[in-house]
Amino acid sequence: MELSESVQKGLQYLADAVHFDLKSFSAFTEVAFGSLVSRSECGLDHPQLNHIDQSVLKHCHIATTTFILEGVKQNADKSTLSSCLEDVSFDAERIDVFYSSYQHHKRSLETLLESIGGSPPHVTDVLWRLDYCIKNSHVHKVNQPSYLISFHVENGDCGTSSKEVNFNCTMEQLQDLVGKMKDAAKSLEKATQS
Amino acid sequence: MEEVDRILIHSLRQVGTDVGEDVESVKQFTSELIVEAVVRCLRVIDPSLGSGLSHLLPPGMSARFRLGMSLAQACQDLGYKGEIGYQTFLYSNEPEIRSLLMFLVERLPRESAEASDQPAGKSVLLQKAIADQIKAQLAIPWLPPTCRLPLQCKTQSRGPCHRFYSQPLSVPYSLKVPQNKQSKEVKEYYRDFLPVVTAQPSQPISVPASLLEHHAAELSAAQEWELEWNSQGLLSRLTPEEYRSRKRTRLQRRIEEQLRVAAQPRPDSQGAQRSTSDLAELLQSFGGASAGGDVLTKGTRFTHTEKFTFTQEPEKSAQQMAAAASSMPSSRQSEEDLRAQQQEEIAALQQQLHQLSVQMEEVGGDMRQLATSINQVTEELKELEKSKSRKEDLVKVKKQTIDLLPDGQNNLVKLQSLVDASVKRLESLKAQWEKHKAPLLEEQCRLNELCSDQEVESSRMLAEIKELHDKIRQSAEEAKKKEALYKQLLTEYEKLPKDVSRSAYTMRILEIVGNIKKQKEEITKILSDTKELQKEINSLTGKLDRTFAVTDELVFKDAKKDESVRKSYKYLAALHENCTQLIQTIEDTGTIMREIRDLEEQIETENSKKTITNLEKILEDYKAIRQENSTLAAKIKEA
Repeated sequence: MELSESVQKGLQYLADAVHFDLKSFSAFTEVAFGSLVSRSECGLDHPQLNHIDQSVLKHCHIATTTFILEGVKQNADKSTLSSCLEDVSFDAERIDVFYSSYQHHKRSLETLLESIGGSPPHVTDVLWRLDYCIKNSHVHKVNQPSYLISFHVENGDCGTSSKEVNFNCTMEQLQDLVGKMKDAAKSLEKATQS
Repeated sequence: MEEVDRILIHSLRQVGTDVGEDVESVKQFTSELIVEAVVRCLRVIDPSLGSGLSHLLPPGMSARFRLGMSLAQACQDLGYKGEIGYQTFLYSNEPEIRSLLMFLVERLPRESAEASDQPAGKSVLLQKAIADQIKAQLAIPWLPPTCRLPLQCKTQSRGPCHRFYSQPLSVPYSLKVPQNKQSKEVKEYYRDFLPVVTAQPSQPISVPASLLEHHAAELSAAQEWELEWNSQGLLSRLTPEEYRSRKRTRLQRRIEEQLRVAAQPRPDSQGAQRSTSDLAELLQSFGGASAGGDVLTKGTRFTHTEKFTFTQEPEKSAQQMAAAASSMPSSRQSEEDLRAQQQEEIAALQQQLHQLSVQMEEVGGDMRQLATSINQVTEELKELEKSKSRKEDLVKVKKQTIDLLPDGQNNLVKLQSLVDASVKRLESLKAQWEKHKAPLLEEQCRLNELCSDQEVESSRMLAEIKELHDKIRQSAEEAKKKEALYKQLLTEYEKLPKDVSRSAYTMRILEIVGNIKKQKEEITKILSDTKELQKEINSLTGKLDRTFAVTDELVFKDAKKDESVRKSYKYLAALHENCTQLIQTIEDTGTIMREIRDLEEQIETENSKKTITNLEKILEDYKAIRQENSTLAAKIKEA
């Protein structure tokens, strides 16, 4: 896991017992994780952190939050995280404190990162109707079936909003669509085997 | 043998043959099992060969015969060198079956082991991770939205999504200005007023995106700087700060040039004159700007022209608006009057405009003329100044000569002596200069050499540094690769099935190799002993013959005279005869013993081939075939 120089410097400040003793380190870790996970805006005023120089504190805050996000992004295991922290001269106690908070918040951080990006709506239900056109104003005899399909889709949240996608297609187009969906399912299964 | 059998049975089980649990050795294979095993192996080795053959032994005798023949043919096609026919399958014996199965098992395609020799690349690892994730997600059954509990919402659908939107963040440190050079105000701002980085983006949801983007930008900037420094920076032999400042001035100059070229005054646009003057100010500000600071002030031509044109235009439009407001008609006046008024105004304004433009052109022309005449006059002035100075010099010289005229002769002599003295002085100075010049030239040569040596030295060290960099990079990459390979192999090793213990095999193989070596040594020893014995025998027989021949002659010579010598001669001949017979019998015994041993071995092998049972089977099958033939003939006759 690669970290830029400023992040490493910030983490070195954190490792330094001159700036942060163990209690303020644990308080700081909690504050850092909390600032990422909670939606409300919270500052860095915690009673145990008031004696530290604020610009150093802010630097460490940036470094820690960047480090946490990089770790969750790469799904780093304990050995990677520990080796990175040991490179910036963390001692084993601080690494343990950090890692336990990391484990505790990992799921919500993963949800946070997963929510970045977009996904098309998911189809949940299908209603169809088969029409048969006998004749129309241009042609005396048509005699062709056609399908009216309505997909119920949901997007994002579970079940609150449900929209509909309606369309009309001939039998060949519907066969084409079903064929393509089967192909898609097969290629997914193939992807799991390779 | 048991090991071989176990390995064979294991491989056959892997191919798909249904070998029973209690079957331990090839001796216990039945014909059906043999046929099934061979067919499955063929199918794996070469699908085209094995596809036409069924792996079940058909009940009919002729069908069995046909199957046996085709199997034998297929095995021969594969390259089996031994004797093979339908009898190998139907009436099997152990050694033949063993060799055939070993041949087939060896031909089974191996799982490629090359893939695990190299560390899987990042893309392969990513594919594997994706495949695992897809598998996990496919394993979860889908629930329709009406049946979902809140607990399962996460696994069923994606949840609210937001686009990746990052905002630039302000950080309480500066990458370009080191900390002790920051001004007090900036430090105070960082300490007291700069908001926490998670509170800076406008929406809390874009905090992770902004942080990740910021970090990636820093990392990539650092990497690019490394790359550039290692390739070009070291070559230029400057310190990093000097290199950076040189690059900055070079870029500034290029931007200036481009802007200057683009801002050439164009005669057709009226706004251009205004813009060039502003542009000239802008370019001056480039030249005068200090080299420090974080941001390069780049104003595009367009923003500046816009700025300046619009500052002029609002004033103009304000004036126009005031004029229009004052001339706004009251509600009582009719529309036509209004229109007529407006038309008049328009005409008047246009005339004004025309007049003004004509005036401006005249004025412009006058200005140009005056400018050229100013240039001309300044040039004339310069020339006059020059001629004036020349004439002054002349006047001075003439004045001096006039002053010297009254005392003419003396002054002439004095002047002559002055001239001589100055000539002598010139020569002495020249000589001094030459004296001075020589050591200075030497010094210069020496310093030049030193300089070139140092350059050579420094280029050599640069090359070394580059080599070292490359080596460092390579060894770091190798270390990373080996670590990745180690991790990957570890995971694979844990996944591997443990039913066949490889270490036992390797130990056995090593034992066997050792045994074979020992046996080979013993054989060579025995061979050498045999050779020696043979040599001894040969030499002894030779000696014997020679001794007998000599004794024979000797005794025979005396035998003619003496009777007892004749008798002893007869005894000698008989002794010799008997001994030769004895030796002959011993040799015959030896050969016969060897033959006995060979025959015993042959008896053993023939016994193990269970020929008797096979012959009985063959007789039965022969009877069965005859019966089938007769039934078929009867059917044909009926039909």
